[in-house]
Amino acid sequence: MSAHASAAGPDISLGIAGEDSAEIVARSPTALFWRRFRQDRVAVASLIFVVLVIIIAIAAPLVVKILGLAGPYVQNPNLTDAFGQPLGPTSAHPLGVDGLGQDVASRVIYGSRVSLEVGIVGTGLATLIGVVVGLLAGFYRGWVDTVLSRITDLVLCFPTLLFGIGLASACAVNGCLGGTIRPGVGVIIAVTVIFGWTYIARIVRGLVLSLREKEFVEAARSLGASNARIMYREILPNLAAPVIVYASLLIPVNILFEAALSFLGVGVQPPTASWGQMIADATPIFNVAWWYMVFPGAALLLTVLAFNLLGDGLQDALNPKAD
Amino acid sequence: MTTNIRRSAITVAAVLLALAAGLFAFASSHSTSVAHGAGLKPALTGAGQNLFNGKRGGTLKVVDSEDFSHLDPGESYFSLDYEVMYSIQRPLFSYLPNNTTVAAPDLASAPAVITNGGKTVTVHIRPNVRFSPPVNRAVTSADVAYAIERGANPNVANPYFQPYFGSIVGAAKATGGPIAGIQTPNSTTIVFHLTQPTADLLVGALSLPLSAPVPKSYAAPLDAKKPTQYGTSAEVATGPYMLKSDATGKFLGIGYQPGKSATLVRNPNWNPTTDKRPAYLNEIDINIGGAAPVIGRQVLTGSHMVMNDTPDNTTVALAYQKYYNQLTAVPGAGDHYVSLNNSHGVFKNVNVRRAVWAALDRDAMVKVAGGQIVGQPGTHFITPGTDGFAQAGGYPGPQVPWNKSTAGNLAVAQTYMKAAGYPSGKYTGSQAIKVVGSNNGNAPKEAAILKSALTELGFKVNMALVDQSVMYEKYCGVVAAQIDACPEVGWIRDFADPQTVLYVPFYGPAIVPTNNSNWGQVNDSAINAAMQKATFTVGAGARAAAWANVDKMLVNQAVAVPWIFDNQPNIESADVRGISDLWNIGSWDYSYTSLK
Repeated sequence: MSAHASAAGPDISLGIAGEDSAEIVARSPTALFWRRFRQDRVAVASLIFVVLVIIIAIAAPLVVKILGLAGPYVQNPNLTDAFGQPLGPTSAHPLGVDGLGQDVASRVIYGSRVSLEVGIVGTGLATLIGVVVGLLAGFYRGWVDTVLSRITDLVLCFPTLLFGIGLASACAVNGCLGGTIRPGVGVIIAVTVIFGWTYIARIVRGLVLSLREKEFVEAARSLGASNARIMYREILPNLAAPVIVYASLLIPVNILFEAALSFLGVGVQPPTASWGQMIADATPIFNVAWWYMVFPGAALLLTVLAFNLLGDGLQDALNPKAD
Repeated sequence: MTTNIRRSAITVAAVLLALAAGLFAFASSHSTSVAHGAGLKPALTGAGQNLFNGKRGGTLKVVDSEDFSHLDPGESYFSLDYEVMYSIQRPLFSYLPNNTTVAAPDLASAPAVITNGGKTVTVHIRPNVRFSPPVNRAVTSADVAYAIERGANPNVANPYFQPYFGSIVGAAKATGGPIAGIQTPNSTTIVFHLTQPTADLLVGALSLPLSAPVPKSYAAPLDAKKPTQYGTSAEVATGPYMLKSDATGKFLGIGYQPGKSATLVRNPNWNPTTDKRPAYLNEIDINIGGAAPVIGRQVLTGSHMVMNDTPDNTTVALAYQKYYNQLTAVPGAGDHYVSLNNSHGVFKNVNVRRAVWAALDRDAMVKVAGGQIVGQPGTHFITPGTDGFAQAGGYPGPQVPWNKSTAGNLAVAQTYMKAAGYPSGKYTGSQAIKVVGSNNGNAPKEAAILKSALTELGFKVNMALVDQSVMYEKYCGVVAAQIDACPEVGWIRDFADPQTVLYVPFYGPAIVPTNNSNWGQVNDSAINAAMQKATFTVGAGARAAAWANVDKMLVNQAVAVPWIFDNQPNIESADVRGISDLWNIGSWDYSYTSLK
């Protein structure tokens, strides 16, 4: 089938297997994606950076040990001056220390865990819910679509940041729901999931409304395939590209959301290291401890930038028509 | 081509990584000089300040991170509130800014007369002191009587009424109505009849804001509301200043915007011939809120500004190093300690409390508060400059094992955890420790040090940081909230007597459901009995010994963990001639401060 499609000329869905080969073979979608993706040097660079950050986050204790840094929760007042002001970079503490004498480098490294936890877990769960809701709404239409779409609209109306602040503030001391909800990573992930699925649900619903009318779906239905099978085996694979693209762009949004909540003091609670919280602590004393803000700020900036550029690259590679 | 693309991609990745690594390397090569504390010359203390000869006029700008707790003389019990209280109200007695030991007559025309073996106190008041509009009339002794009586009104719930005024005949069961032991034979005389010979204590307490006159006709309708609206929405003044108000005396939304600002203006009915205060300033504009380091720098580099709550450590450092004459660090300015809930949860066990005391790095707590300029590690409860301090152990404090090392000693702490029934030396129970601290200034760091100590002892800690006034009013000062620990509750003596350091915060029967200052809900029968005995002890030396004994009992029971004897830092702009209230942590006294 693919051999004859060469008439499409520059269509990059086909390629020449080898310079000396007369045989024309098809490239798999994955190979085509990877070929396009590799051509985007910025995206590849971002991918390398993201992978590195993930490795650092997973292996944070090992990284800290290899670098010979003090642990992120080791308080050492001897590393502050006579007034308790943090001291700057030294060979033992290359990124300086904070006001408690805690090593900034190891806290930046451990801070990546919180950011990625919220970014990846929050986005993953939000994506899962969004895909299921969008798939059901788009496929079944009718009252199912009406109910799910109105719920989606309702959730979209909530000011997420204010909700997060309110929830964390209200539950700060005694917790909520019998102490099950307390400020921390769990609550932040919950908020990102509760409010993050809606955008994906809308996108998926729109795509499914179109896909369900396609011939291959009709064909599957005429062959007696069940609704579940059609959704799972026929439609879902066609949603992969846009969902992956959107999810990759949602990750940095969630990382920034965590940073914002922690910056406002209602996110991750000390002594757990969080970039947003470190920036908040550092803001009033920037004039005496620039390192305390610059390094967590740079880590946040580079990570969010890398995820955003990676998302753009994925979009270009998965959906070349978008160009 | 492919190779080039790969190379380019790697190059871009390398740029991102290099950016991160470059920052790392730059940092590594730029070490910061260390300025440790050995040999620091002391900061100015405010001693010998000239109270008079200031320049008249102008507006003083005050910046405070925190809001006021109460602006009602019947409720006010917070050092920040006092700066407003003593500018707008006149208690029977008050301290001159330089005097930390003897209160002078204020509304009173002469020192109190003690008769009947210390069971009767007579005070005469000045005849020509008038209330601010809309009341306008002259103050009478009946206004003083009502002011004190309303302290027992549940809607007012004065926190020190029973400890200091409870010995007045009929006061023990008072609920806001007339008290039999308070008599006003004429409009300028008030007589207190006591059930015990505790006249000295009562006279000392007459320097507190509760003795400032309150006109019943004006305040009673407001006091009928729960909580009282007197001092919340409206109030009349007798001091040189008043909260900016409308014609009805309402100041809420006019001279006071909660959480935002307060404005003091001259009281048109204040008669300077009746008052020792010079009242140089025309107006005091108080701005509430802002990060302590930011507003601290504004004060140091700005004009006509003072900060009247505690500057953070970076501001203290900046002031000390660059603006030395704009900083005072007043010794004997109270203490701070970690309250541990003696009546609820795991801290009911004395050995667990001793373990926390031993584990807490008090040196680190002092360091993050600003270092040796702002205080010394706390080792017991009676504060420097108060009778009984030396007998209670002085600066080293009692040499019990949990108090020996101010740097924290985990090994010692674990021996007490074992004694408490945790063989591993770490807590293995299921209770999570509920800690509520302040989010102002240095407090979050102090809370983090406590959390670290508790974590080392195996506790799971749920910590919340809130505004300091919220910490006191909603959590640490509310019995039902059952807060396990508050990292930075502070206490300043009410007047020059050791009882005022220990009685309210540690006397069991003084616990009240709300606005409670016995934050640890300490209610030990032996300690209570010792306090009762010390209360009725007469003579300065004997009282000092008696209260030092109580202090030692408090240390032995580890009822709380003292971590700093404060030298309260206060800062001003270069063109402000600030006068510190040395009797009240050295805060700037608006009635004496002037502009240069």
